[in-house]
Amino acid sequence: MEETYAVEMLNITKRFPGIIANDNITLQLKKGEIHALLGENGAGKSTLMSVLFGLYRPEEGSIRMNGNEVSIKDPNDANALGIGMVHQHFKLVECFTVLDNIIMGVEPCKHGFLQKAEARKKVVELSDKYGLKVDPDARIENISVGMQQRTEILKMLYRENEILIFDEPTAVLTPQEIDELMEIMRGLKAEGKSILFITHKLNEIMSVADRCTVLRKGKYKGTVDVAQTTKEELSRLMVGRDVEFVVHKKELAPGEVVLDVKDVTVASKMHKNNAVKDVSFQVRAGEIVCLAGIEGNGQSEFVYALTGLVKPTAGTFTLRGVDMTRDSIRERSKLGLSHIPEDRHKHGLVLDYSLEQNLVLENYWKQEFQNHGFIRFKAVRDYAERLIEQYDIRSGQGPVTVARSMSGGNQQKAIVAREIDKDPELLVAVQPTRGLDVGAIEYIHRQIVAQRDAGKAVLLVSLELDEVMSLSDRILVMYEGEIVGELNPKTTTTEEMGLYMAGAKRKEAV
Amino acid sequence: MGLLLQYTLIFASVLVLVALGGCFSEHSGVINIGLEGIMVMGALGGALMLHFLPAGTSAFMMVLLTVLAAVALGAVYSLLLAVAAVSFKADQTIVGTAMNLLGTAAATVFVKAMNTAADPNNVSSTIQYIAAKKAFLVNLGGFEFNWFMLLAAIALVCSYVLLYKTRFGLRLMACGEHPQAADSVGINVYKMRYAGVLISGVLGGLGGIVYITAGVSEWKFENGVAGFGFLALAVMIFGQWKPTRIALAALLFGLFRALSNVYTGFDFLTALNLPSSVYNMLPYLISLVVLAFTSSKSRAPKAEGIPYDKGQR
Amino acid sequence: MEEAKKRSPLMRNSAAQSLLASLLCILIGLLVGYIVLLIINPAGAGKAIATIVKNFLYYPSQTAQLKYLGNTLVKTAPLLLCSLSVLFAYKVGLFNIGAAGQYVVGAGASLYCALALKMPWYLCLLAAILAGALLGALSGVLKAYCNVNEVISCIMLNWISLYLVNTLLTNVKESASPYTMTLISTNSGALIPSMGLGNLFSSNQYVTIAIPLAVIVTLIIWVLLEKTKLGYELKATGFNKDAAQYCGMKEKRNIILTMAIAGALAGMAAALLYQTGFEQWSCTQSAVPAMGFNGIAAAFLGGLNPIGTIFSSYFIQHITSGGAYVDKTMYSSQISDFISALIIYLCGFVLFFKFALNNRLDRRAERENKAAQAAAPKEGGDQ
Repeated sequence: MEETYAVEMLNITKRFPGIIANDNITLQLKKGEIHALLGENGAGKSTLMSVLFGLYRPEEGSIRMNGNEVSIKDPNDANALGIGMVHQHFKLVECFTVLDNIIMGVEPCKHGFLQKAEARKKVVELSDKYGLKVDPDARIENISVGMQQRTEILKMLYRENEILIFDEPTAVLTPQEIDELMEIMRGLKAEGKSILFITHKLNEIMSVADRCTVLRKGKYKGTVDVAQTTKEELSRLMVGRDVEFVVHKKELAPGEVVLDVKDVTVASKMHKNNAVKDVSFQVRAGEIVCLAGIEGNGQSEFVYALTGLVKPTAGTFTLRGVDMTRDSIRERSKLGLSHIPEDRHKHGLVLDYSLEQNLVLENYWKQEFQNHGFIRFKAVRDYAERLIEQYDIRSGQGPVTVARSMSGGNQQKAIVAREIDKDPELLVAVQPTRGLDVGAIEYIHRQIVAQRDAGKAVLLVSLELDEVMSLSDRILVMYEGEIVGELNPKTTTTEEMGLYMAGAKRKEAV
Repeated sequence: MGLLLQYTLIFASVLVLVALGGCFSEHSGVINIGLEGIMVMGALGGALMLHFLPAGTSAFMMVLLTVLAAVALGAVYSLLLAVAAVSFKADQTIVGTAMNLLGTAAATVFVKAMNTAADPNNVSSTIQYIAAKKAFLVNLGGFEFNWFMLLAAIALVCSYVLLYKTRFGLRLMACGEHPQAADSVGINVYKMRYAGVLISGVLGGLGGIVYITAGVSEWKFENGVAGFGFLALAVMIFGQWKPTRIALAALLFGLFRALSNVYTGFDFLTALNLPSSVYNMLPYLISLVVLAFTSSKSRAPKAEGIPYDKGQR
Repeated sequence: MEEAKKRSPLMRNSAAQSLLASLLCILIGLLVGYIVLLIINPAGAGKAIATIVKNFLYYPSQTAQLKYLGNTLVKTAPLLLCSLSVLFAYKVGLFNIGAAGQYVVGAGASLYCALALKMPWYLCLLAAILAGALLGALSGVLKAYCNVNEVISCIMLNWISLYLVNTLLTNVKESASPYTMTLISTNSGALIPSMGLGNLFSSNQYVTIAIPLAVIVTLIIWVLLEKTKLGYELKATGFNKDAAQYCGMKEKRNIILTMAIAGALAGMAAALLYQTGFEQWSCTQSAVPAMGFNGIAAAFLGGLNPIGTIFSSYFIQHITSGGAYVDKTMYSSQISDFISALIIYLCGFVLFFKFALNNRLDRRAERENKAAQAAAPKEGGDQ
């Protein structure tokens, strides 16, 4: 007897110039199940979902719903077939209210005039039914990420979608919020919705999914029943080899204080409160201190102030005994501050410059690379070639490759090479592995640990709990602009850290 | 004083119309630097209608046809921006600038050709509409009420309702703030942007005819509209892309523009004995100062100026 | 396939693509201009468009041709500098539509220094450069510190400058006309020296060292942009101002500096025209001179390359001068303005054109690749 599936994607192949993003992939979603789609960054998960959502047309293969072949040419077709998606980067208009965002596209209207009261009633009903707490009249820019996500879910429910796709929904949530989301997903399943859950986090799959399909480098690696598998097996399927979850580090031998942060307060650009409130801590030579916390709790603003991109309203930064609070970015750099920025496209690279031009971005002004204001092209080329060799930066045309055309991993390697090769006293690394595949992550982790082992001070800012736990020697948790706890990764658990990150727990005043 | 009020209101009407035009275009995500050119085209359409309608035409028909001509020409001309910026993802600043230059050049070439055809000795780029203009005016005890003032007020109310109370407005603004979000819920971003630009063409064209009939009875098209399209953009920024605030900003700017027409009527101003060029400069100077103080906090539609590409996500 | 390989690198070359795009813009521009002429009056359209393209060749005698070629060149020099002004700012991510206003204050400063203060030519030139730089820097300051969009501030400043300069130069105008006094009658020392160049153009007195000077400035700008630390910094700021700030470049200073340099170029442009005595300033003019706006056309038509602008500036000036010769009983000389505005408009499509071209080439390359793989399956496997 043949089972009917809510959605079947059969033998899907999608090519892009020079790469096969999906190579003969089959995915079958049963009605009323939670089906995980597991794979590394770049494994082809997003492409596959884009095919299902009508954003790409596949070269080969077909899509069936309830046994009938369907053609999905654009998101409208997907919507009409009851397929909804919570995108990784929320598709919400920030200056609109929650209600406006939910009804957008399917607005109840009379002669073109919006009938918001009607819509509002339906939204409140749905939100009660599924336990999705939102304030329909709040503006998106003023609400928490969790509520934004609930808005996205309500968007699908408002449209009465039956197939719900969640694209990496937990990346931006606290452990507690993640638990809540899992609960919501179970509730949706109980109501008969079918859920596709894209992730690369094994714990979440084990906790909530019924079945799991694994992709690797664009290829289908199998579908397993979650009840009959282990994390280890899933990870082997995903990566293709045993992954070392442990990072090897030398024994901790902290030296003298390199960075001394005293009572730093930074004003917020988004709201009237301060983004960073009265933060003080130290980083010593030979240790990795990690600033953990949920996105938007002041970490970015703190780093901007530390690196000189914004001015703090109060407090001081001292590097190796030199007060650099008033110094310019260039002067801080000369003092020995290196900065791997959070957003490599916004801050880290000039995408329209070549690789070599990007590699000298921090030191083009040095005598080594210029002579009375004229650039020494030969010196720049030699330097770039050395870094490319040493840090294994791969690109189409070597030093003259335009940065924009390079892969994310190699772009990040270029930044890491540039920042580490400055031989800094203090390395500030902000989410250095965001969006990279396992190979690149391992490489960058090794580089960061090598800096620590060489006796440098490292300040790591990360949202990834695994990264925080495996790399750091000390963890400082930030919540609403304050440091609410200092934890030792050897003795703490992610659960405890989660409580601090959510503001549920804080260290007693000393 | 009455004269000052009258001129303030008429210039404010121009600014409101054109700034609202800019507002629609920018809310859809397209920066419309080309408003100046659109105004010239609207002015040309309206002026031709005024010039050629037979003297006996009823005042109502006169107003209606003139407005229609201005609006139609403005809208058609704005298509140049829509096609380039939306369909071909061209740089909106270059295209807008080109449209401003093109508008003035095209109008000049056209009017000169027309004038020379009628009288080989006439090589000027001026159109006269002395008698026809009267159709727009109603004398209310010394105050010359202009139907255009009413039109501007209507446009203001309609814009407010359209933007904030209708499905169209919600979708339009979504396209200017976050086109990917709009697209993901099935809104056709290209269509909405075309609509935004076309509305700016309609309002800009209307603003053009109002401007050239505001104080004078003939217009020399070689001069274009003397930077008024850009003043309207300043009004729009000062008004924070919101219709009600735009109206207030327009009144303020309108007042300064009006001063240069009527300052001789004020004894204390004539007593200052300033050269007339000071008053000519005034609106530009004020707008520069105002922008300097308000721009750092201004919040433009987030996605404006960025061509939308369906393939890029 | 061998042939295809040889052909595609040339088509892929960015400079070749720019050239092709520019030629297309010119062609379409002229074509539309021709159609407009046809609509206005079919009888003389062919002749009129030929007249515009011919410019000085309109004159039968070689002496006259040479002389009027000189006149075109005299006006090309300032246009070249205006287009450099636009180009330089654009490389740093700024749209200097204010070249027109900077040109106006340049003219004001140069003529006032020459006619009222009786300064020698090089001081007048310097004054023009400074005035332009100052006005440009003002837009830069407004952009850097007050976040005022430079396009709008530039337009406002264009008009303010026009009224200011009209007022200022009224002090040195001829009593019977709205024009400023001639340099030759008042202060011939303010005329830029010819150094015998005029003799090459049928003793055209207006041909001076202004022309080679403009070319030299072009080369300097090219070197500045491509070979120096400052150029590296400015272009980085233009491509990505956040990254520029991140790596310690003074982004605000760079914006102001860029606008000051752009302003200086436009200011100098005015001096190079008015100090040849070729034109007098009309103190009643009610519109900003078109020179600065034509600079935009030349900058984009030249593919935003300093060397390219030498040719594009000449072309734009060539058709603008040519426009003056069309039969005034049928057409107006503004048809040239119309064509150059059209060319700017078309330049907006250049990026799309290059993108489409590259796409086509990609597809063709892929097809050929596939064909080659099919022909020799053992060769060229997937890496």
